[in-house]
Amino acid sequence: MGKKTSDQAGLDRRGFLTGVAVAGGAGLSGPAQAQSNPAQAQPAPAPAARPKAPLPTAAQTAAENEHPPHMEALTTEKTGSDFMVDVCKTLNIDFLASCPGSTFRALQESFINYGQNKKPEWLTCLHEEVSVGMAHGYAKVAGKPMAAMLHGTVGTQHAAMGIYNAYCDRVPMILFTASAGPVEDRRPGVEWMHSVQDGAATVRDFVKWDDYPWSLQSFAESTVRGYALACAEPPGPILITADGKLQESELSKQEEAKLRIPKLTRGTQTVGDPAALKEAAKMLVAAENPVITVDRYARSQQGVDDLVKLAELLQAPVVDKQSRMNFPSQHYLYQNARGGALVGQADCILALEPVDLFGQLNRVRDQIERTWRRTSKPNAKVISLSTHDLLMKANYQDFQRYSAADLAITADAQATMPYLIEAVEREIGDRKSMFTARGQKMRDAFKAFAARAHADGALGWDSSPISGARMFAELWNQVKNEDWAFMTPNNYSGNWQHRLWPIEKHYQYIGSSGGSGVGYEPVAALGAALAHREIGGRLPIAIIGDGNFNMAPSVMWTAAHHKIPFLAIIQNNRAYHQEVMHIQRMANRHNRGVTSGVIGTEITDPNIDYAGLAKSYGAVGIGPISDPKELGEAIRKGVAAVKAGNPVLIDVVMQPRG
Amino acid sequence: MKIFTITLAATLSLCASAAMAQQAAPAGNIENGKKHFNSDGCWQCHGTLGNGANLTGPKLANTELPFEAFLMQLRQPSNDMPPYEAKIVSDQTVADIYAYMKSLPKSPDAKSLPLLTGMGVK
Ligand code: HEC
Repeated sequence: MGKKTSDQAGLDRRGFLTGVAVAGGAGLSGPAQAQSNPAQAQPAPAPAARPKAPLPTAAQTAAENEHPPHMEALTTEKTGSDFMVDVCKTLNIDFLASCPGSTFRALQESFINYGQNKKPEWLTCLHEEVSVGMAHGYAKVAGKPMAAMLHGTVGTQHAAMGIYNAYCDRVPMILFTASAGPVEDRRPGVEWMHSVQDGAATVRDFVKWDDYPWSLQSFAESTVRGYALACAEPPGPILITADGKLQESELSKQEEAKLRIPKLTRGTQTVGDPAALKEAAKMLVAAENPVITVDRYARSQQGVDDLVKLAELLQAPVVDKQSRMNFPSQHYLYQNARGGALVGQADCILALEPVDLFGQLNRVRDQIERTWRRTSKPNAKVISLSTHDLLMKANYQDFQRYSAADLAITADAQATMPYLIEAVEREIGDRKSMFTARGQKMRDAFKAFAARAHADGALGWDSSPISGARMFAELWNQVKNEDWAFMTPNNYSGNWQHRLWPIEKHYQYIGSSGGSGVGYEPVAALGAALAHREIGGRLPIAIIGDGNFNMAPSVMWTAAHHKIPFLAIIQNNRAYHQEVMHIQRMANRHNRGVTSGVIGTEITDPNIDYAGLAKSYGAVGIGPISDPKELGEAIRKGVAAVKAGNPVLIDVVMQPRG
Repeated sequence: MKIFTITLAATLSLCASAAMAQQAAPAGNIENGKKHFNSDGCWQCHGTLGNGANLTGPKLANTELPFEAFLMQLRQPSNDMPPYEAKIVSDQTVADIYAYMKSLPKSPDAKSLPLLTGMGVK
């Protein structure tokens, strides 16, 4: 943003004169006073001694505004990209994350100047995977989408994996990409490389909808339509391509007057058919050993509270697959600790938004011959209540193996829950105490879970590398009086969050990555931390594997730059450990080289200095900590720094797996 | 791991020869056991001190399994654990690993760790 050279300023004739006029004719003291942005051209208090210059007459102004026929028009007051910003502003989008790219240069300039960089505020990311991952994590906490802008071709390619994660996780986001426009307008070289006939093709298999609007009116309609579609259950990312020519072309008053931005109407959610709900209620009430399995279900506290109500009505255990925070971990009906056994004994299973129904009912063994067996009873009745079948595409296989339920209710489970509760209440009638004995069994079983978790947690208590349970215990000790919230899944950290901490509120855990694309943890955490910052008063925590972190360490810079505080604990096992185990498995299977599984999977020699890396990005960096006795103090310092408004990274050298 | 142990014992009584089932654990070399535990991949799924990890492998430190069951798990894993045949980890090496696991100091009693039991979970 250097100052204009006098040559450029001299050519900016229209802006130059405006500046002079607004400044009250302070004299033609040179091009440095030229102002093309009216917002910056606030009249400075005129020096008292100076004589007032006469204002230009109407005829003079008209003559200046009309372009002299012999000179090329090199500036314009309003462009298509300004209108695109108007469209986005009607959608109440708070943030737009982006790594810069010239294909959307007009749009970027319009957002920051014409749109005054508010609603949405432009956030600087250092990789497109960070931009979309941020949008992913943000939506899960804020309960509404944010936007990300991707450079034509190369930017969308960078973003692809993050989009896939959000698609698999059924999370809404509003994505824009761009293309340089018609062939005869393109500059040779890079503009061709970054132009594309069908920019969405790269990601079409895993966005919910996309469009390349060829007019501004169409841009308005597609963006509003896209927003509504992104949010409709099951939600997902949508992608709009903003054509370069449409962005950069002048928008005349006449053309603008013809444009209409449609209003946004969000569709109501699909609710289960009453006859099917009645049938489901009958099956559940009649069952001796019903089990509720729950996966990508709750999108708000309401969903959690409703599920508690249903489970209590039936005194049925809940087995949580944890794609969302679905049920309070301290409720006696939260029976994950014996989930496998319960599903195995169940005579009726209600599966709420299962991501993988087959996997809930069967087990596949990872030996040379991939044998599988049903782990649930063959005659157990299975009811699914899910939007699974409403969004399915052919190519990517996130839909999992086909598994037929006995009663498949295609509907949004959270929206349907109050009606299912009603149906169950009706079916129970005045027999309210009929499940008391079952409830008592659940309470008794629950009592043993904590003791078991504590006994397991004591194993390797003083070990170095530090055990998962020890790390979570030290962390708890420092944040127990804060309004903490986890922003990362727990499958790589030994499930300790759910085993040792009382996770009661929906925002305290935002579930899994969706597509298991490595790199989700830091980027989603950044977006989630932004949403927590906006809500205020919370202490956002991310437990990030070292391999995961290395996909996007620059999140620490974006967090420092935009003042997004959060605590990142690097669960440093100095490897892509999942792959260490896979290679070991292959070596064993092939009866050779069982000592070399670490080649190509370990991240050692040299060890990475994560604290130093964080510091270089402007965040607070602490560690590495390998002695469990030093961990409490390190976390105490980290928490204090987060509360002071900083992003903080603590490098904890930990056991390979929780 | 209770359920697993019971299954394993049942499998053993079916599969293992009577002679093998009656064998006492061969004497093991703790140092060599430690070396192999760390070089042959056991630590990856069972923790660097055999302390176990929720999702990847049960605790092995101070194992209460009889040696035959321990050995059998390596040769014919009950479920997902990768197999270790005698060609790559001999019976003697398994005995060494077994001895090393038996020699490890016991983990503290959870009741003596208020930091652990003082978390919200009751
Ligand atoms: C890739 C992961 C992995 C590796 C490597 C591995 N194990 Fe295991 N181990 C498991 C799993 C998982 C189980 C649970 C049973 C099953 O799935 O077969 C297990 C179970 C066991 C058991 C039974 C424990 C009990 O109390 O029931 C023993 C003994 C054992 N492993 C020993 C070893 C030894 C010794 C090594 C190294 C030579 C080793 N394992 C390497 C994953 C692994």
